[in-house]
Amino acid sequence: MHYERELLKGSTDSLLLCLINHQPMYGYQIIKELQKRSNGYFQFKEGTLYPALHRLEKAGLVQGKWQQLSSSQERRYYYITQKGQEALAERLAIWQDFSTAVALIMQPVTG
Amino acid sequence: MPTKLNYTDSLKNYLRLEPTIESDVVRELHAHLEDKSHELIESGLSEEEATATATRLMGAPQLVARQIYEVYSQGSWRQAFFAALPHLLVAALFALHCWKNTLWLLGILVAVVGSVIYGWFHSKPAWLFPWLGYCLIPVIAVGILLIYLPGNWAWFAATAYVPLALLIIFSVTKQTIKKDWLFASLMLLPIPTVLGWMLALEFEDKLMWHEQLYESATLIALSFAALALTVATFIRIKQRWAKVGALLTLDILILVIMALGGKSAISFGGWLFLILLALLLLLGPAILDRRIREANQKPLKLSNKSTR
Repeated sequence: MHYERELLKGSTDSLLLCLINHQPMYGYQIIKELQKRSNGYFQFKEGTLYPALHRLEKAGLVQGKWQQLSSSQERRYYYITQKGQEALAERLAIWQDFSTAVALIMQPVTG
Repeated sequence: MPTKLNYTDSLKNYLRLEPTIESDVVRELHAHLEDKSHELIESGLSEEEATATATRLMGAPQLVARQIYEVYSQGSWRQAFFAALPHLLVAALFALHCWKNTLWLLGILVAVVGSVIYGWFHSKPAWLFPWLGYCLIPVIAVGILLIYLPGNWAWFAATAYVPLALLIIFSVTKQTIKKDWLFASLMLLPIPTVLGWMLALEFEDKLMWHEQLYESATLIALSFAALALTVATFIRIKQRWAKVGALLTLDILILVIMALGGKSAISFGGWLFLILLALLLLLGPAILDRRIREANQKPLKLSNKSTR
């Protein structure tokens, strides 16, 4: 459990950047989308999500903008910035190399 | 029964961020609680149950506020340098024996006044408060110098001046506490140092005073350099408890530096006064902040009750 938490902690920013890159979203929507796209594997705690989103915003990787949904409803949508896209591309490349290397070692030897 | 408004009020109490960021965070989390409550109501819960579950899932407001605070509480290296600059200038003044140099003094005065005016009207950033502290020092220094007036004049002047000086310091401190009590502690930080050195050097004999000042100049410079280092650390640290720890460590360090002076004229009573003053200026704003918040919450609770 602790290992899983550590893995998630290390990947939170990349997961958020990846989702926001796909389409601008607001906090509640991000939690739902993460749950849906991971078949329920990622159950993000709300209290963890918002500090992470604000950390990304302060680093200039995303930008939050208020948008009116209806007359009484408004939500803060997060948009990826140019800097965020560059960071995401870099992280994806690292992740690709890392997962390939891990798979090479962890996969059972065949043949 | 917790409500969305109670939760966001409680969150606001712990955030202590720039008003625009704070308002964004509170609105954002309130919108999230609305969405979550709506989802839970659709799944069959009552409105009250849904609100209670949504706030519980969000986590304790203290914890969420602390995590968001730590995102914004760390200043850049540039801000840290600018916050430490007034202390560095004073340290240089003594290290280079320039306290009689009018140009130096005028330069520091212009820098202090200019920075305070600029910072005060530009959303009071964290770097402003060490500069603001230097605006309060002349108010205190004049009070100390009044003691040395001849005869009964000292008592007469002190009776008139001390309440006025306390009023000025209190109102500036109260304004600063509204932003964050830690900034008030940061602002008041140089006061025990300045008072300590004023008490350590004999004022009555002018010749002896100059001699002592010359001899202690390196230690005075060292204490202000320690102040600068602490302020820079304070700006760079994220956690509140660590910020308080940094200020407390500095107070102890400064008192040690003064004691190392050797020829210090401070009596036992003087040391006791300095220690208590340092603690009061460090933790007093926290107590005052709590009182102000409690006083502000009373009418809010009453209005909540009346609307139910």
